[in-house]
Amino acid sequence: MTAETTDTDETKLSLYRKCFQIRRFEEEAARAYAQGKIGGFLHLYIGQEAIAVGAQEALQKEDYAITTYRDHGLALARGMTARAAMAELFGKVTGCSKGLGGSMHFFDVEHNMLGGYGIIGGHLPLAAGTAYASKYREEKRVTIAFFGEGSCSIGDFHEAMSLSALWKLPIVFVCENNEYSMGTPMVRTMSVEDVSQKAIGYGMDRDRFFCESPMQVRDRLKVAIDRARETSAPTLVEIRTYRFRGHSMSDPGKYRSSDELEERKRKDPVTKLRIDLESAGKLSELERLEKEVEEEIQDAIKFADESPEPGPELLEATTYKGAFAR
Amino acid sequence: MAKLLEMPKLSPTMEEGQIASWSKKEGDAVAVDDLLAEVETDKATMEFRSFDKGTLLKILAPAGTVVKLGQPVAIIGEKGEDISALAGSAGGGDAPKTEAKGDAKPVKTGKAKDDDAPDEAARNTPKSEKKPDAEAEAAENDEGEDHDDDGEDDANEEPEVDAKPKAAKPSEVAPQPADAASSRGSDGRLKASPYVRKIAREQGLSLEGLAGTGPHGRIIARDLEGAKAPPRRASTPSVAGKSAPSSGTSMASSVEPEKRPLSMMRKAIARRLTESKQTVPHFYLSIDVDADPLHALREQVNADLAAMGEKAPVVKLSFNDIIVKAVAIALVQVPTCNAQFTPDAILIHRRVDISVAVAVDDGLVTPVVRDADKKSVAAIATEIRELAGRAKAKKLKPEEMSNGTFSISNLGMYGIDDFAAVINPPEGAILAIGQVRREPVVRGDAIVPGRRLGMTLSCDHRVVDGAVGATFLKALRGLLEHPSPILLL
Amino acid sequence: MSALRYREAIRAGMSEEMERDDRVFVIGEEVGHYQGAYKVTEGMLEKFGAKRVVDTPITESGFTGIAIGAAMVGLRPIVEYMTWNFSAVAFDQILNNAAKVRQMSGGQLNVPLVLRAPNGSARQVGSQHSHSMEHFYTHIPGLKCVAPATPADAKGLIKTAIRDDDPVLYFESETLYSIKGEVPDDPEITVPFGVARVAREGAGVTIIAWSRMVHVALEAAEKLAAEGIEAEVIDLRSLRPLDEEAIIKSVKKTHRAVVAYEGFPYGGVGAEIVDRIQRLAFDDLDAPVLRVTTRDVPMPYNAKLEQLVIPQAAGIIDAVKQVSYRS
Repeated sequence: MTAETTDTDETKLSLYRKCFQIRRFEEEAARAYAQGKIGGFLHLYIGQEAIAVGAQEALQKEDYAITTYRDHGLALARGMTARAAMAELFGKVTGCSKGLGGSMHFFDVEHNMLGGYGIIGGHLPLAAGTAYASKYREEKRVTIAFFGEGSCSIGDFHEAMSLSALWKLPIVFVCENNEYSMGTPMVRTMSVEDVSQKAIGYGMDRDRFFCESPMQVRDRLKVAIDRARETSAPTLVEIRTYRFRGHSMSDPGKYRSSDELEERKRKDPVTKLRIDLESAGKLSELERLEKEVEEEIQDAIKFADESPEPGPELLEATTYKGAFAR
Repeated sequence: MAKLLEMPKLSPTMEEGQIASWSKKEGDAVAVDDLLAEVETDKATMEFRSFDKGTLLKILAPAGTVVKLGQPVAIIGEKGEDISALAGSAGGGDAPKTEAKGDAKPVKTGKAKDDDAPDEAARNTPKSEKKPDAEAEAAENDEGEDHDDDGEDDANEEPEVDAKPKAAKPSEVAPQPADAASSRGSDGRLKASPYVRKIAREQGLSLEGLAGTGPHGRIIARDLEGAKAPPRRASTPSVAGKSAPSSGTSMASSVEPEKRPLSMMRKAIARRLTESKQTVPHFYLSIDVDADPLHALREQVNADLAAMGEKAPVVKLSFNDIIVKAVAIALVQVPTCNAQFTPDAILIHRRVDISVAVAVDDGLVTPVVRDADKKSVAAIATEIRELAGRAKAKKLKPEEMSNGTFSISNLGMYGIDDFAAVINPPEGAILAIGQVRREPVVRGDAIVPGRRLGMTLSCDHRVVDGAVGATFLKALRGLLEHPSPILLL
Repeated sequence: MSALRYREAIRAGMSEEMERDDRVFVIGEEVGHYQGAYKVTEGMLEKFGAKRVVDTPITESGFTGIAIGAAMVGLRPIVEYMTWNFSAVAFDQILNNAAKVRQMSGGQLNVPLVLRAPNGSARQVGSQHSHSMEHFYTHIPGLKCVAPATPADAKGLIKTAIRDDDPVLYFESETLYSIKGEVPDDPEITVPFGVARVAREGAGVTIIAWSRMVHVALEAAEKLAAEGIEAEVIDLRSLRPLDEEAIIKSVKKTHRAVVAYEGFPYGGVGAEIVDRIQRLAFDDLDAPVLRVTTRDVPMPYNAKLEQLVIPQAAGIIDAVKQVSYRS
C-alpha cells in the first residue's frame, strides 16, 4: 500500500531532481577524484540515491540522521548544498567540515545530518544515543541510522539494536543492503540472507523490501518513522539496493560480473523514474531540471576549486571545544 | 570438637566487617550453608554462611561490633560442649594471620613463608651501577702532584715522587675515580650534568680539572661545592615566579667579581696544563750555574755586534738566546733527554725543536725553533725575536706552535730567581730559567761577588729518569760555564 | 567542610551537578539498583529516579556510544565503567567517536561527556583487571584525563568534569574509595584542570605522582626525611592537560626528579613527563630523571609477586637516592 500511485508528476519530478542531483554530484566527484582534486577514500552512492531521497521525504527537519562513510547522498538529501559538499571533498575550508573531515565525515548540524563515520557499525550506538536524548527530553524527534549489510555482523550493531529495543528508543535502523561488503558478497558474510530477521532476536519491529523508487522508500520508511515518533519503538528496515560503482574509488569491482551489473542497472530506480516521467510527457521539464542540476554541480566544482584551504590554526581549535588540553 | 568461627573475607578488599545482625541465636542448630549473620563490609552487606554443621555455642561479637578479618566472632560445636578454654583464648588473642576460615587454633599457617621479607622492594627502577667504593676512593685519591724538589744532583738518588702513575688508564672503567681525566670521555667531551654546566657558565667557573664523582666520572652539583661558588642550596621553597639563582653568593658580599670569558687560548692552556700536571709524573732537578763566564761572553759579543753596525747578523744576544743554543747542543749530547713517552714505546727524537715560552696578552704561547742545534746563536736570536713578535700579534700558525721536543721557559726578566715549570705534553722535559743573580760566591777559599743563574729541569719520569736529567744538566752547565763552544757549534 | 570518604565525595559532586543541571545523568552497569559496584552511586537511584540513574546490560561499547550520541545533541552523561579495564571493549567509541566528532564535523559538534571508573591495581585480581588505563587515553588529542588522590579533589574534579564541554576521563582508585578527607560543602567550589597540587614541600628532590601513588610517595618522603633528603611531592591531579609549569618550577628548585606511578614502563604518562622535564628544565638537571613504575609484565595473581610488580615506597626511595647520588 503506497501513496506512489497518487503522487503527482510534480512530486515525482521533485524527487527525480533530488536523485539526479546526487547522481550527477557523485559522477562529477569521481571525475574530480581521477583528476587528483580529491584524495583519500571516496565511496559513491550511485545506485542507492532513491533511499536517501525517499527517507528525507518521510523525515521531519528536526529528526536526526546518521550514516556511514557513504554519506554524500544523505547529506545532499537533507539539504546540504552541493557547494559545501564538493568543497569538503576538495578539502577546502568552505566545506561542510571545513576540510577537516573529507568524504567520509560529512556533517551538517543545521540540517541534522550528524555524520559520516569511518568505523563499520561504530556510529550505530551514537544513533541510539541521539534517539536516547530525544526520549530523555520527551521530544517527538526520531533518529534514522543508515548502514550496510556488512555492519550486521559487528558488535556495535548488536549492542545498538539490543539497547534500542530494551529501552524502546525512537530510532529507525535502515540497512542499505547493496549485497557486497567491499569485495565480499553477502552469502559469505551472513548465515541468514534476510537481514531484517535480526530484529526478531531483539523483539524489534521490522520491514524489508527491494528498492524501486524514492516514493516507495518514502512510504515504507514512514511507517517505521511514525512508529518511532508516536510509540517510541525502534524498527529495523532492510532495503535491498545496489551500487553501480565499486566500494570506493580504489575498488575495481572484479568480484561481480558485468552481466550482473548491467542487469542491475536496468533496474535502477532513478533511470526508471525518468523513463516514467518521460512517458508522462515531462521531457522538457526533465531536461530543464537536468540542466539546472548540471549548472549547480558545475558551480559547486568551480566554487570548490576557487575556495581557500583551511589553515593550521583550525587544528587545535577543532580538537577541543575548550582550551587545548596538552 | 568446638572451634572458633572467624570473620571471613567476603569481598576482595575487605579488611574488617561489622556484624549487622545475627541470624542464629546461641544454642541454635546450624546446618552447612545456613545463614549465620549479615555482615556489613566496605562494599556491601554480605551474607556470612556456615561451612560447618553444629550448634552455635557462643556469640563472641554481638551485632554492631566491628571485627577485623580473621578475628573470632562465634564458637560452634556440639551441644553442651565445654568451651571455657576457647572462649578465654578468643578474648585476648591477636588476630592470627590465616587464609583459612574457621581454624580451631590461631595457627600462623602462612608465617613460615612470610619470613622472607615481603617488603623487598619492587625493584622496578632501572638498574643503576653500583658505586659503593667510589667516593671513598675519590677522597683518598691524591694526584701525584708532589713536588719532591730535593734539588740534589746526585744522579743515583731516586726522587721521592710517585713512581707509579696514578692516572686512570684509558681502559680502566673505574667507578668514580675523582680524577679529572675520567671526567673527560674518550672523545674528549667533558661529562658534567646540565645543571653543573649552567652554574659554570653563569659563574665563570672552569670545569677543567674538576673531578666528577657522578657515574662515568660525571661532574655533578655536589662536586662544585669545592670550587669557587657552591651550587644552589635553597633551604627555603622558592617564591612563586622567582627562581633564585645559584645562591652561593647569597651569603657573601653582594659585590660581583669581574667575569672574564675564557678565550680559546685560556681554555687550551687550562686543559693542556691540567692534563699535564695530572697525567705526567713530574720531578724536578735544579742547578745553580756560575753565570760569570756567560755574562762576560755576552757583554763581549754584544759589544762586538754593536761595533759591526748594519753588518751585524743580529742586534744583540740575550741570555736566553745563548741558553737556547746551549740546550740544543746538550740535547744532542744527551738525546735521552730529548724524548717522549707513548704507551707503546719511548720516542727519542732525532731533531731538536725547542719550544720557547713567550708571554702574550692573556696567556702564553710556545713557538718552536726548529733544528735549534743546527742554527747559530745569531740565527736563533733573530728567529725568536720574529716568532715572539708574531706571537704577540696573534699571527702564529698552529704548526709553528706545535711539535716541539723540549721546552724552555724564562722568567728571569720578571725577576724570578727560580721556579719549576709544567711540562708541555707530549714533550719529556722543560727547563725553567730564572734571572742572573749578583751575589756572594765562593771562589777558592774566598767569598767574592759573583753571578749565579738558577734553572730547574722538570722531567717526565716515565721517560727521563733522574740520571738522565742530571746528565743533561751537567752537560748544559758545562756549556754555560765554558760558553765559547756555544758560539762555535 | 565535611569529612567525607573519597567515594562519598564523588557521589556528592555528581549529585550536586545533577541537581544543578537536568541534562546530567549517570549510566553504567549496576549503578542503580545495585547501588554501585563500589557504592559510589549508592542512594542516587532513590534520590534521582531511573531516568537519571540508568542501569545497563553488559554493553560497554553500546552504552558508551549511546552516551556519546546523547552528548553530541546536548545531554551531559556520566558513564561509569565497573573498572577502567572494561573500557577496552569501548575503545573504538572513545578513540574514534568521543575524541574525534568535534574535529570531523569541523567544530560543529562537541561531546560533553564524563567517563569514570576505578583504575589501576586492586588486590590479586589478576592481569585482566589490574590495568592503569590512563596511559592509553592521555595519548589521544580530543580527550581530557584527570586522577584525584584525595576526597576534596575527587569532588572538585568530578564537578569540573561534568561542567566541561569536552570528553573527560576520570580515573579513580579502588584502594582510595574509603579514605577520608576534608571536603568543601560549597557546591560552587570546583578544582580546575591543568593545576597540580604540591602535597609536600621540599628542596632535595621532586617526586611526581598521581592517584594512589601520591600516598605511597608521601610515605617514601617521610622515610627519606629521616635520612636527610627532603622530597617535594607533586600530586598532578590532572594528566591531560598536564601542569608542566608546576613540575618545572619544582625541578628547577631541586635539580632532580622521580616520577612514581602505576603503569607499564614503555611510554605512557611518566615518559611524557620525563620528556617535558628534559626539554624544559634541561639545564637544571643534575641527574637523569627516573621513573618508578609497574614491572613490565602482566599482573600476577600471587600476592607476593603482585607486591613485587606494583611500584612501592622502597622503589621510590631507591630511585631518589640514585638521582641524589646517595646510593
